[in-house]
Amino acid sequence: MKSQHVRQRLLLLVAAFGFSTLALAGCAGSDPVPLGTPMPPVALTSPTPAPTSTSAPGASAGGSSAGASVPPVPIKRSDPGSQVAPIVVPPTHLTIDAVGIDMAVLPMGVDSAGQMQLPEDSAQAGWYRFGPAPADTSGTTVIAAHVDSLEFGLGQFVRLRDIVAGETVVVASADGAQRTYTVSQITRTPKTDVAIDEIFDRSGAPRLVLVTCGGVFNRDTGHYLDNVIVTATPVA
Amino acid sequence: MRKIVKTRVLAGLVAGSVAVIGLAVPMSAHAATGAKLSVLHAVPDTPVDVYVNGALTLDNFMPGDLAGPLDLAAGTYSVAITAADAADASKPVIGPIDLPLADGGNYTAVAHLKEDGTPTATLYTNDVQTTAAGEGRLTVRHTAAAPAVDVLAGGTPVISGLTNPGEKVLNLPAGTISAAVAAAGTTTPVVGPTDVTVAEGTNTIVYAWGSLSANNLKLAVQTIDGLHGNPSGIPSGTAGLAGDRDDSGSLIAGGTAVALLLAAGVVLLMRRRSRANA
Repeated sequence: MKSQHVRQRLLLLVAAFGFSTLALAGCAGSDPVPLGTPMPPVALTSPTPAPTSTSAPGASAGGSSAGASVPPVPIKRSDPGSQVAPIVVPPTHLTIDAVGIDMAVLPMGVDSAGQMQLPEDSAQAGWYRFGPAPADTSGTTVIAAHVDSLEFGLGQFVRLRDIVAGETVVVASADGAQRTYTVSQITRTPKTDVAIDEIFDRSGAPRLVLVTCGGVFNRDTGHYLDNVIVTATPVA
Repeated sequence: MRKIVKTRVLAGLVAGSVAVIGLAVPMSAHAATGAKLSVLHAVPDTPVDVYVNGALTLDNFMPGDLAGPLDLAAGTYSVAITAADAADASKPVIGPIDLPLADGGNYTAVAHLKEDGTPTATLYTNDVQTTAAGEGRLTVRHTAAAPAVDVLAGGTPVISGLTNPGEKVLNLPAGTISAAVAAAGTTTPVVGPTDVTVAEGTNTIVYAWGSLSANNLKLAVQTIDGLHGNPSGIPSGTAGLAGDRDDSGSLIAGGTAVALLLAAGVVLLMRRRSRANA
């Protein structure tokens, strides 16, 4: 009973904490300049008389801090062996029958330039493994693929631009679960205008975001100027 | 490319400041955003009670226990640590001490031993700045009755000469490291090696605590997640095969070896250029 209560409280605290730091993360963006320079550790060696330390146990009379009542505290063990890593089930396959997309999905990270890494083979799609997964209850599962590659030619994701709203997307995960989504939005945005924080959004309702390139191919840079972005929402 | 990156960063900054303003207005109408405080008990063998502003807040708090994070209004809090059977805060074994908590700050107060083995408390400010996409943050804190130490990752020193109550912060690619603590200048572990996960977007804080002479040195781990930074973009096409007709329609129409060779040349050039830049 008691421990359950504490756990609930802990969850709430953790949730609140996650929310506020996310907001903070969004604000900081990719700014390399520290917004709040960390302070050096403060050695608390000079005891000062506490104005509020009275002889009555549990008394929290108005002290040095206004309204300094302290809520109940969640407690956990700190030894390395008791640290629990969250279980993440990666998506493994993507199917969009309407446009003939049927691709393996691989977990991918970040390249040396800080961009999302993609499978070299344009016949395979990549899932951003540091972001939400299909089973998560909030945020975007981001799956992207090269629209083409020199070695492998045109990829299936070239057909993302043929998708229309209302079509069905199916994502299979490593645990065998299949999730069905309905396409809600298709946008083609110049890469310079892409709201990257909206693509990689950890908050809000769970959704699937498919991304590839499109638009004019810039021969000088060897890149397309646009991103094609398809957003789909889970079918209840 | 560089221009694009710069524009993106600028856009991010502008969006960021808008978000800050948007966030600050409703918050300030009510109260401050507040501070977060965790408390780690890192004095071996001694259960304690923790009083905050005279109120019993942590009852029978055990060594190795980590409490929090507590959401507190910014301000100065008086903390007294007593024996676990104390009736009140009047006879603290540590403190009473003042914890000045600033608005928006994230702190860990640690009850621990000084290098000479006497109990003390240290207030650390946790680095909750956004991490780069794909990276995590490792913070190492020396809170043990022990002289200067080196921290080894995979047997190699990554932090040298850390002394109580010092700390060192590293930003690393996400992954698991085999961490050990050795006397400064040596590579023979006095703690570990222990696998420590440096998760993406998370500040993983590792404390060395206990006493070298009492042979009870240990590691404690605290994690602060939700610090994720996003990738800067998605580079998802390199060959020009799928370009719009106004520019490279001939590539689509032809699809010939010549066109492919042309594209290959462009990409090779591009690769060479980016290598030269790198």
